[in-house]
Formats: sequence, structure tokens, C-alpha cells
Amino acid sequence: MLHSVMLRTVSASSSHRAFRSAPVRTMARLAPISRNNRTLMSHPPPSGTVEPILEPVYLALSQPLKGKTAPVERNVAVLDPTVFKHPLRSDILHLCVVHHLDSLRQGSANTKTRGEVRGSGIKIRRQKGTGKARLGDAQSPMLVGGGVAFGPKPRDFSTKLPRKVIEMGMRVALSAKVRERKLGVVSQLSWPNGKTKHLAQKIDHLGMRKTLFVTGESSPPTTLERAIRNIEKVKLITTDKLNVYELVKWPRVVLDMKAVNYLERTYRKDVPVSPVPIAT
Amino acid sequence: MATRVRAAGVTLANLRPAPGSQHKQKRVGRGQGSGYGGTSGRGSNGQKSRSGPGPRPGFEGGQTPITKLFPKRGFINQNSKTWAPVNLDRIQHWIDQGRLSSSPENPITARELLLSGCVHDVHDGVKILGDGAQHFKTPIYIKVSRASKSAIEAIESNGGKVVCQYYNPLALRDCVKGRTDRIAAAPTRREDIVWYGKYRNRGYISPGTLKALGDLPFVEERWKALATQLGAWKKQDFDVQKKK
Repeated sequence: MLHSVMLRTVSASSSHRAFRSAPVRTMARLAPISRNNRTLMSHPPPSGTVEPILEPVYLALSQPLKGKTAPVERNVAVLDPTVFKHPLRSDILHLCVVHHLDSLRQGSANTKTRGEVRGSGIKIRRQKGTGKARLGDAQSPMLVGGGVAFGPKPRDFSTKLPRKVIEMGMRVALSAKVRERKLGVVSQLSWPNGKTKHLAQKIDHLGMRKTLFVTGESSPPTTLERAIRNIEKVKLITTDKLNVYELVKWPRVVLDMKAVNYLERTYRKDVPVSPVPIAT
Repeated sequence: MATRVRAAGVTLANLRPAPGSQHKQKRVGRGQGSGYGGTSGRGSNGQKSRSGPGPRPGFEGGQTPITKLFPKRGFINQNSKTWAPVNLDRIQHWIDQGRLSSSPENPITARELLLSGCVHDVHDGVKILGDGAQHFKTPIYIKVSRASKSAIEAIESNGGKVVCQYYNPLALRDCVKGRTDRIAAAPTRREDIVWYGKYRNRGYISPGTLKALGDLPFVEERWKALATQLGAWKKQDFDVQKKK
């Protein structure tokens, strides 16, 4: 219930619940264990409550692939500011992207050293008297057909990055998309049949080329997956495949509600957030 | 001039590392212009300019090195323990301030003393000492590694209880962390078994201490089992000189 509070399309039916439970959530976290039975007290204890300084992020829902936009009163997503309103840190993004690209390197380049090149170890000409250079065996790196000196060998290029940096990278990347108005939220990602042509037309109509669609389902809906598979400059992935590189690479990102839910659950930080003001 | 001002968004093309976070590679032996041409930053000739690790650390060119010049001195006592001393007046002061409290259910242990700032480090265990015993007025229940004779007397004359429990490093860490899922190790060294088996020391495996404590809530069943097992030697007549 708690995490669903932050992510709720503002609707008349759910507004009461959201309004009531949001302050409870912050208070419960802030109330300290009271052990103030001191007799000697040089200064008063800090106050038990903290005014929340973070405002939630309000985002109008994008037009869904299927069906119409929701009515106005159900048209706003309330997003957790710790995930979707992080200050920009492009150095963190750089770290995450480089880390990801490093992990993609195959590292399979291989050459043969003089020990591995086939051939006999016999001395190819005598040491003295030929008037030519001294030579040993025929696999010397100096000779044609010889081994490679200091050539590449298979190796692992992957680097390590602290988990908390990667998590921060996700927050920064999502927040950058929100700031650039390149993040869309739809209540659900679906498509009635597996026909690519019609979906491509719809996507063009919505102006959603160069877009990454992210679904929070464990596997994307079959028909949508089949229809979107062969459309250029569009990709559909699940949240567990989502990473900083994809977020930065794609100019536009569209999340469904379950994906937003997953991201908030995974990346949110426990800090006081203002309750959602809802007019009844 | 029609120029469109575009807000530069974050793309893969404009990411860069934090300023000052990267170093340039030092490319040795790549010409005079690099600053590392010529001798590649290794100076002229000699063992240290060749490949390989060079002379071993502490080598002084064949002269007797300083580490071998003087005889060894001193020794390290493997059995020594550093106790964190706590005096009774300090405990009383902490209690007066409300920073410490004890009950038969929750006696004062090394954890309480550390968390309340009464000791800054528990070292190998806490030892209660009797300084300021004349100011000590509160009945307390306390379970520590050691207690001095005067401290024991002062605590018990005020109606408190003190018991000394053996903590090995792991048990002490568990105590400080508040972990209860592991059983504290019993003493294994003869010296410890004898010391904690004495009522004089209020050792936790001494029958006298267990009798004095009665069935207070913090007394563990295991202590009684340990008291019988580790106290068995007293009736086994080891080391008794036969009279001739």
C-alpha cells in the first residue's frame, strides 16, 4: 500500500486513501524513539518532526497505443521525486554507460606468440660465416610467418562499479528524461493484434518513433511484442532489462504503470515527501 | 541569422567524466617531446634502470642492513587482554543522567556501556573497577567480563548483582551488536575455566555465583550446565601430591 501511494493516477475514488495515508507514511518514519528522560539537559532536544522538502513530480499521462487518453481527472501520474527528480550528474551517467559498454566487450581477440606458432625449433642458419644476421628459429617475431610480439590475447574487459552508483545512475537518467520532457507514462502498454503495419502507423501518428517502451510485466504482452518487433527505431523491453545505457541512448522513453511502480520500489530513497494535495 | 536555440539534452554524445577524475597515461620511451624519452624516467644505468623488480626492500648494497644490525628485543604476550575499565562513579553519573538503566530482565552489558558512551571501545571486554564507590548508590544488575573486588563489594552492598561472563572475541562482538542467534563460547583455557569458576570473582560458572543469583531472568540455563561440566575437575583430584 505504501509504495502504491506515490504512484496513483489521481482519481476521485482513490483520492481519500492517498490523502490520508501519505502523511502517515512520513510521520512513521520520522518519529524517533523517545528516550528523553534526562535530568541534566543542556539544550532542548531536536523537534521530532521534519518538514518535507521534496515535492512529488506530477506528470500528465501520454496517449496510449490502444484506446483514448484517460479523462482529465484521471490523467496525472504522481511520481516519487527521489527517483524522478534527481539533480543531473552526467559524470555518474558516464560511469554507468562506460561500465555497461565495457561489459559488452567480447575480449576474444587472439594472436599466436612465437611459442604457439607451428614449426620446428631448429636454428635456421649457422651462427657465423654467412655474412647475414644471427637467427634462431623461424618463429621469431622479426620474421615473416613468425609469432606476434605483444599481440592481443583473450581477456575480460568488464569493470566493476558499486551497486549504489548504478542505482543513482538510474535515478539520474530517469530524472533527466523527465526534465527534458522526454519521459511518457501510460497506464498500460498493449496492442490488440500482432499486425506490425497498423502499429507502425499508430506510432507514427503519435510521433513516437525513436522511443523505448518499457513494460513492468515479467514478459511483454505477446501481440504487442510481435507487432513492435520489426518496427524501426522503436524497442520494447521489460524493466529488468532496463539500464542506464538504454535510458540515455533512446531519445524518448515511455513507461507503463507497472514499470513506474517497479522503478519506484527499486530505486526510491526514504526521505520525507510532501503529501499529494488533492481537491475533493 | 536564423539559429534555433536547442536545450542540450543528455545523450551518449555529451557524457563526460567528472573534471579531474581521470589521469593521462604516462607513455615512456616515445620520444623527447613526451618528457619520458631517452631513459624513460629511470635515470642512467644501474640495477634500477633495468627491467625486473630491482634490489629487495631493506637491501643496503651488501652492508649489514639496519634490520639485522641490532638484536631482537621484547616479546608479544599472546594471552594478554586489554580490559576497558569502568569505574563505579562513572556508572552512577551515567545512571543519574538517564543514559544507563538496568533491570533483572535487561542487565547492563558491554553493549549498553558502549552505546551509552560510557566506554569508547570495549577492547577485549569490560572490567568494573571500584573507584568512587562511596558515591555509588544504585542497585544495578550488570554482566561484564571482569569486576574488581571493591566493585563487587560496592555493587552487592547496594543490593545489586554482578556476574562475570567469559567472552571470546566473537561472543563479545555478538554482545555489542545485540545478536542472539549464536551461543557464546565457553572458556577453553584452563586459566579461564578456573577464574570464571570462582565465586570470589563472581564467575558465571561458579556454583556459588549461580546460587547467589538464584533464578534471575538474565541467568541462562547453559551457565548451570557449564558449571557442572567445567567444574568437574574440582572433584577429580588432579595434581594432588601424594603423601609419602
